[in-house]
Amino acid sequence: MSWLQGLEAIGIFLALALLFGLALGYAAVRFKVEGNPMAERLDQELPQTQCGQCGFPGCKPYAEALARGESEVNLCVPGGTEVMIKIAEITGRDPKQMAEGVEENPPIETAWINEDLCIGCVLCIKACPVDAILGATKLMHTVIQKECTGCELCVPVCPVDCIEMRPVATHLKNWQWPEPETLVHNKPLASLLVREG
Amino acid sequence: MAFLSTLAKLISPLYPMAKRWLYRFHGGIFPQYNKSLSTRNPIVPAILPSELILPLSQAVGEVAEPVVQVGDRVRKNQLIARSKEDAERKLVVAIHAPTSGNIVAIEPRTLAHPSGLKELCLVLQPDGQNDAIENALHSDGAWPQTPQALKKLLAESGIIGMGGAGFPTYAKLPNVPGKIHTLIINGAECEPFISCDDLLMQTQAQEILLGGQITANALGAQQLLCGIETNKPDAIAAIQQAITQLQALNQAPVPMQLMQVATVYPMGGQKQLVYEMTGIELQSGGHASDQGLLMMNVATLRAIYRAVQLGEPLTSRLVTVSGLGLESGFNVEALIGTPFDELAALARPKFPLDYPLIMGGPMMGVQMPNNHVPVLKTTNCILANPPQPREIQMPCIRCGECMDACPVNLLPQQMYWHAQGHEFDKVEKLNIKDCIECGCCSYVCPSHIPLVQYYRHAKAEIKQRHAEKAAAELAKQRHAFRLARLEREKAEREARLKAKKAAVKTMPAAATNEAATLVTENATTLSAREKAILAAQAAAARKEGQTDNDKKTKGQSLGTNKDKTAAAEAAKKRALEAAQKARATTATPKTADTPSPVTPQNARDKAIAAAKAAAAKKAVALPPLATDQITDLSANEGFTSTALQKEEARRAAVEAARANAKARKALKDSGTENITAATAEPSTPMMDARQKAIAAAKAAAAKRAQTPPQSDAIAKKDRSE
Ligand code: SF4
Ligand code: SF4
Ligand code: SF4
Ligand code: SF4
Repeated sequence: MSWLQGLEAIGIFLALALLFGLALGYAAVRFKVEGNPMAERLDQELPQTQCGQCGFPGCKPYAEALARGESEVNLCVPGGTEVMIKIAEITGRDPKQMAEGVEENPPIETAWINEDLCIGCVLCIKACPVDAILGATKLMHTVIQKECTGCELCVPVCPVDCIEMRPVATHLKNWQWPEPETLVHNKPLASLLVREG
Repeated sequence: MAFLSTLAKLISPLYPMAKRWLYRFHGGIFPQYNKSLSTRNPIVPAILPSELILPLSQAVGEVAEPVVQVGDRVRKNQLIARSKEDAERKLVVAIHAPTSGNIVAIEPRTLAHPSGLKELCLVLQPDGQNDAIENALHSDGAWPQTPQALKKLLAESGIIGMGGAGFPTYAKLPNVPGKIHTLIINGAECEPFISCDDLLMQTQAQEILLGGQITANALGAQQLLCGIETNKPDAIAAIQQAITQLQALNQAPVPMQLMQVATVYPMGGQKQLVYEMTGIELQSGGHASDQGLLMMNVATLRAIYRAVQLGEPLTSRLVTVSGLGLESGFNVEALIGTPFDELAALARPKFPLDYPLIMGGPMMGVQMPNNHVPVLKTTNCILANPPQPREIQMPCIRCGECMDACPVNLLPQQMYWHAQGHEFDKVEKLNIKDCIECGCCSYVCPSHIPLVQYYRHAKAEIKQRHAEKAAAELAKQRHAFRLARLEREKAEREARLKAKKAAVKTMPAAATNEAATLVTENATTLSAREKAILAAQAAAARKEGQTDNDKKTKGQSLGTNKDKTAAAEAAKKRALEAAQKARATTATPKTADTPSPVTPQNARDKAIAAAKAAAAKKAVALPPLATDQITDLSANEGFTSTALQKEEARRAAVEAARANAKARKALKDSGTENITAATAEPSTPMMDARQKAIAAAKAAAAKRAQTPPQSDAIAKKDRSE
């Protein structure tokens, strides 16, 4: 009768396997995640400057390319090292040095139009990825400072060179407490003892 | 309690922390209070400084808009700045002149703010007459009965929280009566050195309590609690006496109660005092009003009383001038806008005031960038403590003292650790937003780490990160919207093009058919004579249309206004003629033939039909364009041709502008070394460019003037429809 008992055990496990298989299969269909979750997460981390310095026509295409594993992790210039590390974390790839000559933490700048020179050619409106420029044909244009991401795409297209990038002014609302100077770098206490002793 | 307090007093010399048994909240410290430095002298009446500086931007909310101009003379209590638009949303309160005088400037001045930033301020030069507008707020002395009425008055009187945060008081009040059940009067004043609230309670107890009554009454609160620390026996006595008096005078509709609270820093914090007095622990991020509680500083309540009863806006406040660097500290009824240095100079400084003064107390106060900054509505103390050599900062030894001292139950050492490592997301998870920056942790830290400075920096950093995230999200949305818009526009353009193509194919046939049917319709009802007229008209129209067409082939269209009106006039005339003829003909032979009575209406209809037919014929005469298409296509054609002209003009203008810009640059570059040459030389290209632009514009205008009249048919059609 022992072989029967062995069969019984096999039967139980088969039944269990079937049950779990069905449950998992159902869950896979029922709770399917739409879209590409990794691209979404990457897109969340990108600065959304939409400047195209990564070689893609915006942040989302870059995120998608990253998620497909088709591009390097260190292409986003405005994001800098910080974003690069986050991208590397999400994609599970090795961090990579930013390209030579990439300025770390560049000051935040926004575009300003010299309104006396503007001839109303609407070229900058067409270039702006976030519709931050206001104006109409033959009329003066101006930048909505709140919306400008500082991508500089409008600067080269202006035929009369009347757009310039200016650092965002410090005022009461965006002023920050400076970081206190650390007088002692946090070394292990032992090193202090050694020095004194 | 009494037993516990005696016990605590007994052991405190040996174990100072025994005093922590005397109150409910966690942590807290017992610093040297030094309050007698300023309480031993009487209150100094307001001094008239050389100038009053009134910043247009306040601690909270947007910038106020001045309603006076440079050179204006203002009287005391006159409104000089207020919110541009909806004050409620912008959190702006009105600013009033603290004394009479002249507005000598509206210019950026250094603010009483640690940043040292300059922002627009009204500068008022007192004329010494102190000529006041009585009852500037037009108050009739009646107590407001609804929260709305009180809020309106508060916004007009410029009252903000005078305890320190400076949140506009009206914005703090709920709109619904009865939402607040307990109004707490904050008389704790726990910071060392500061004694202005103490003195205010001693001297103006009635006004404070009446202010509380007014507020509680308007809000429908059920009780009024006044919390005072035990180290102010005079204030306690004064308030107690005032309570009895008011109750005896029947001026206290809301029951009042005085509560003595233990002397510990930071008892005056909102969460701490609420917990101490009511046993309600406010949750992280929660407001006191969610629990039906409202806390107000004694100075704020007094200002409310004066606004309601006397119609006086907030233009002065009691300020403590004290510190170890001053011979005789005092409290002064300072006009808002009085410069710090002038007040401090009155207190006989022991050393020259070449070190930065502190606004606020030694624990939470901030160093001023410059001593010539104005007293604000929130300035409770000007502290002159000569700088001490800073204790050398040592590494954190994880002793946990800071954690024991934190009144908000945070983990200061953890927050410090992550803050100095720039791991701001971790700092945020440790609930740094609940840190009240009280400084207890720095005070007790044996390693002398300036913990609060790290927290301030971390808070600012976190705030900025959130702002950046929000901006990125906005940019993402705008970019997505733009892409969608471009897509949609492209689709629309294609659809339009397709529709047009289809229309061009089908329309001529349809139009001829329509015209034919119209003609035949007309023919059936009209007499032979009319037919002849119609035919003649059609022929004439055809001829005209052809000439139009000829002209059009020359590549010019889009008539000027004059041409258009002329064409319209002609069309009108013709239509009128047709109508008259039609009427004439129908008047004679028709009556016999057709029994239907011919009304002028009918005749007019016919005339219209005739005109339509003519138009249709004319249109047919313009192959391959159809009537309906003419407007569309010719407009388009006109657009392209004028667009060409415009393009030319624009190019010229662009060139002009470029030359202009270059000239300007050259001017700038050449700088001072050769001014005359620089101005003489680039002026020629500049002139050239301008002339070119002018010429281009003239040419364009001339071309436009030559353009032929729009085809009559269109005008006629427009008229007849
Ligand atoms: S480089 Fe510019 S477009 Fe590309 S991901 Fe960075 S911000 Fe976005
Ligand atoms: S205004 Fe210029 S810099 Fe700013 S977002 Fe638009 S294109 Fe970029
Ligand atoms: S009190 Fe100072 S040394 Fe002690 S744990 Fe806190 S930060 Fe570290
Ligand atoms: S400053 Fe912040 S962390 Fe330090 S004791 Fe006060 S509330 Fe706690």
